[in-house]
Amino acid sequence: MTGAYSTIAFDAARCDGCNACMVSCAQAKAGSDEVADSRIQIVAGDGAFELAMCRQCGDPRCEANCPAAALVKNEDSGVVDWDGSKCVDCLLCTVGCAYGGIVRNARAGHVVKCDLCDGDPACVKACAPGALRYVTTARIYNEVGQLEDLFVPGLSGCQGCNTELIMRHALRRIGPDTVLATPPGCIPGMGSVGYNGLTGTKVPVFHPLLTNTASMLAGIKRRYNRLGREVNAVALAGDGGASDVGFQSLSGAAERGEQILFICVDNEGYMNTGMQRSSCTPYGAWTSTTPVGEHGRGKTQDAKNLPVLMMMHNCAYVATASTAFMEDLYAKLDRAIAASKRGFAYLHIYSPCTTGWRFPSQDNITVARMAVETNFVLLWEFDPEAGLQLTHPVDAPRPVRDYLEAQGKYRHLSPEQVAHIEAGIDRQAAFIARLAQAGGAPPARPSFA
Amino acid sequence: MIRHADYLIIGSSHAALAALHTLRMHDSEGAVTMVTRDASLPYSPTVLPYVVSGRSQPERVFLRDDAYFRAQKVDYLSGIEVERVAADRNVVRLANGDEIGYKALLVATGAQPVVPPIPGLGGVRYHVLRTLDDAVALRAAAAGARRAVVLGAGLIGMHAAENLAHAGADVAIVERLPHVLPGYFDADAAAMIGRAFAAGGVRLFTGREALSIAPGESGEPGCSVVLDGGETLPCDLLVVGVGVAPVTGLLQGSGVAVDRGVLVDDSMRSSVANIFAAGDVAQARGFYDGVKTLNGILPDAVEQGRIAGMAMAGDPGIKPYPGGVPLNTYTFFGQHAVSVGTHGEGIPGAETFTTVDASAARYLKIVLRDDRLLGIFGINAAFDPGVMWELILRRVDLAPVRERFLDAPQDAARVLMSRTWR
Amino acid sequence: MATVLEPDRTRPAFLVCDGNEAAAWAVALSRVDMVAVYPITPQSSLVEYLAKLVADGDLPAEIVDAEGEHSVLSVLQGAALAGARTYTATCGPGLAFMFEPYMRQPGLRLPMVMSIVTRDTLTPQSVWGGHQDAMSVREVGWIQMYCETVQEVMDTIIMGYRIAEHRDVMLPVNVCHDGNYLSFGATRVDLPAQAEVDAFLGVPNINWHAALDPSRPMAVDPLTGGAGGPGPRTFVKYRKGHCAGMQKALSVITDVHAEWARRIGRVHAPLVECYRMDGAEVALVTIGSMTGAAKDAVDEARDRGVRVGLVKVKTYRPFPVRAVVDALTGVRAVGVVDRSVSFGWDCGPLYQDVAGALGHAGLPLPSMSFIGGLAGADLTPGHFGGVIERVAQLARDGQQGSTVWLNEKD
Repeated sequence: MTGAYSTIAFDAARCDGCNACMVSCAQAKAGSDEVADSRIQIVAGDGAFELAMCRQCGDPRCEANCPAAALVKNEDSGVVDWDGSKCVDCLLCTVGCAYGGIVRNARAGHVVKCDLCDGDPACVKACAPGALRYVTTARIYNEVGQLEDLFVPGLSGCQGCNTELIMRHALRRIGPDTVLATPPGCIPGMGSVGYNGLTGTKVPVFHPLLTNTASMLAGIKRRYNRLGREVNAVALAGDGGASDVGFQSLSGAAERGEQILFICVDNEGYMNTGMQRSSCTPYGAWTSTTPVGEHGRGKTQDAKNLPVLMMMHNCAYVATASTAFMEDLYAKLDRAIAASKRGFAYLHIYSPCTTGWRFPSQDNITVARMAVETNFVLLWEFDPEAGLQLTHPVDAPRPVRDYLEAQGKYRHLSPEQVAHIEAGIDRQAAFIARLAQAGGAPPARPSFA
Repeated sequence: MIRHADYLIIGSSHAALAALHTLRMHDSEGAVTMVTRDASLPYSPTVLPYVVSGRSQPERVFLRDDAYFRAQKVDYLSGIEVERVAADRNVVRLANGDEIGYKALLVATGAQPVVPPIPGLGGVRYHVLRTLDDAVALRAAAAGARRAVVLGAGLIGMHAAENLAHAGADVAIVERLPHVLPGYFDADAAAMIGRAFAAGGVRLFTGREALSIAPGESGEPGCSVVLDGGETLPCDLLVVGVGVAPVTGLLQGSGVAVDRGVLVDDSMRSSVANIFAAGDVAQARGFYDGVKTLNGILPDAVEQGRIAGMAMAGDPGIKPYPGGVPLNTYTFFGQHAVSVGTHGEGIPGAETFTTVDASAARYLKIVLRDDRLLGIFGINAAFDPGVMWELILRRVDLAPVRERFLDAPQDAARVLMSRTWR
Repeated sequence: MATVLEPDRTRPAFLVCDGNEAAAWAVALSRVDMVAVYPITPQSSLVEYLAKLVADGDLPAEIVDAEGEHSVLSVLQGAALAGARTYTATCGPGLAFMFEPYMRQPGLRLPMVMSIVTRDTLTPQSVWGGHQDAMSVREVGWIQMYCETVQEVMDTIIMGYRIAEHRDVMLPVNVCHDGNYLSFGATRVDLPAQAEVDAFLGVPNINWHAALDPSRPMAVDPLTGGAGGPGPRTFVKYRKGHCAGMQKALSVITDVHAEWARRIGRVHAPLVECYRMDGAEVALVTIGSMTGAAKDAVDEARDRGVRVGLVKVKTYRPFPVRAVVDALTGVRAVGVVDRSVSFGWDCGPLYQDVAGALGHAGLPLPSMSFIGGLAGADLTPGHFGGVIERVAQLARDGQQGSTVWLNEKD
């Protein structure tokens, strides 16, 4: 099997039908201004625009249908390469393609198809509204795909669990020279530490107490530092253990600059033990301890902004991330790993919970993406030199109602509650923007004047 | 000598290669042997007309190389004929007396040219086109041909005729049925194609039969074809392209049920549980009528081969064969023709919409029933046959876009595609 | 720091110092790899001494100034799982706050030594000595040894590592010394030579059984138990093994004290100490620093012809049932003096254990519980004189009275 590849992604919602992509393709590929000569075709539907172009299929049927060996999936680039010196113009490839991605071009007199412009697609550059993106995430998967998955197959997470995704990706990247702490919660709950003598992890792993994850890791890391051994001390902890009962040890370790990578998987509550409220649970959310009834309308307080609190510890690195933005997540993971060799690195990953948030299991990444696109959560990173920087600023956020309506835990919200949430989003965005503007490290003793 | 394979594949063209591809996706380790009577690396019969024309160099038409088979851990045995299948012992016997045992067997032997029972044909030299050797031989013969007769106006015959015309020969085509490319195009379209051939200097004798063939004068190469109307067509090159028949002889006595081809179910399994067939040799369910039929076209061979490979490997992701849809593409004298699906003969409620623009040599025919696409046919018309095939298989409701579809099928189908399965 | 009376090149031969400083020197002599500290009265000066020893280079250990006792022990637990020899000290509310990781340490079979500079528990609000903190955790599964003197504090901490790290034991050890009376009472203390201690302790191997080490990956403490599969028997295996380790510790403690005496030349009773028990008709049972005053009272009573002796319990957990029964066999009445309370039985916890041991051994002696020295209160020879009188009366009339609160009228 080959790896994953960069690809052109199309967001129909952003397309305004300007045809700039087609014109630029025709110019680049045919020296023509005719959109008919474009290898990307935007078609007007009813009130929306649709795309026909080569998907660079992993198992291309055009290639299988070619009697002349003129079409070959290039294992390096992922492009289905067309060899004009072999093509016999039989058009059987067009029968194999269910996407309108390889089409006979009258001017050329043979089939033409997208070749991704050697990794610099003209259409994407021409797309002002951002409907076309050149997605290079595949680079990550190819690199990570070479690394060993350090969890065993068959961890018993819920269907569609985002946390398992985070665990596997993170630990592959961090590597085997690691001691992993997984405090009680979903992460050991799905079997990562194991049961009755069997383990689910290929690196040394343990249950710390819910309360002392950062402390135990501090002891481990300091010991190995003293022995002159480079060992990553890593926590994969839930938001409850990090923000509530474990916050003291977390704060202490951060203040002391312990060389730890602390990853907080924020699913906004105690999901493993039955979806109870944590201090990271957002306002209005149903949980099993903030139920909805005659008097109860979900949580009555706003969520604690744990990553901001961690930033105020002036850690070596603090960032928020989302699995809907894996390139961003990986960049932060890399920086967090590096930072954990010189001080405390804290990575807060927003992790929608299909079970506890009540949405269909296939929608996890969609919900994660909406959280970012609505500014419900903000993606940023911090280090003491550069200060806080937004890594995925959303200037024109989607209405938060889209996000709220995607989840059962907000089903009961009153208009007043929605308004409270909307106001909170604006306040948070403005607050983070001010921090971003300020730059640099927080003052050692903050002045509130 | 006996060797053993978990998977034994007889044949090396599209169906065989597709089966190998999908079974290896599921089982990367099982022992695979591919045995083919061709003495070369795999190639496609479909490319042969282009070898004849010189567009394809014979040494560049191979679909896979040795490195591929090494990487896939496949024993590729070329130039070896399988004589018979002993299904009771799960072995095949080769022409050299060796045997190969198998756990699962795929018969992808394809088809071979039919030689019509025309008096005199056995006494003259003629060409068929099914192997690379045939193509190389025909190309050599075409170079010196002045007068050529092609029996059969199917794809092989039409390609041969065009190639011979380009090579400078005087070419005549004889077809028993009333128009060229029967089975893919209706009379209107066929006439349009025929006009292109006539303009290219090819004489068409459709609805005519070759009664006999007389050898040429002694010492002279060639022969004369005598038609039912009494005409005599003398030629120094005779091409026989009246059709092909599945290669099933090796299954005689095996217990595998054979009608015109090997009868298979929707996972390409024959009447013997561990024997499968795919491609031109297989007789599988038709999409429209459910009747098992031969559908000897390349895209269907790929589809059947993929399914057979998954079935042989026990891949749980297998989806049943949707049924064969006739489809083809054809380019001739710089023009192109595409047929997808059925013309709707004998299907009650079928509506046909035909647009012919003879001056622009443009033709488009759309067949609907209950606003579902049954078939679409075009000459020099723009639409995506792969998208249309999918619309047919999915029975996508075209009612909301019916007018637009009839007016601009390519755009309408692309919108449906983008919304339905992108 | 104490006056160094007779310095050698590396260590003083003896010091005049209090129990907290002696404990810190014992940590240095034991070549502990990591200490974690958080101050609490009356332990605070002990961690200050540790910090100073580290700062001066006398204790080449990692020191972690944690943000609370909970993290103190957590840091050390992590370090021990990575192979470190560790130490800390706490008491009272600090021990209560530490309880969560404290409860876990013995189950992980992680050897370490932790001093409890004993302090009475809240509430009433109090910052003074008393055994209530240590006694409250007597059933958690740690080894507990109570010291009588400052010298014994030093020696027992060092011996504690040898006991804790013994392959048959592999359990953490609490060395308890009385807040105020031992923590701040200064006496002459002899330091063993570093080479002697090194030879005595050997090279530590803390995590041979349970390690967090990428060079030998394993899961430490997977979920164990439940009602099905291998759960019940697996859980029992661990619990029973823990109990076996505790019982084996009795002989290990005895052997280690004997070896200490051989190598260093100082004798400490390992389990119980019998003082003037020859021909004794009545016996006092004491624990900790009160024993000095009690011995004075015994001497005085003996001078007056009272046939009284004293049994000091040093090793309280595991409880040395055999040694206690052997020591008391032949007397006619027993008085047990506790510096803490068993609320459930309206008596002292040591009394409860002694009575239980005697009953278990089929030796139904008349006995009484005396409770004194709570929250820093002094236990004087006068108090013990009263105890002796009361127990002598018990020996005569066999009339067991209710628990006597010694400082009730002070």
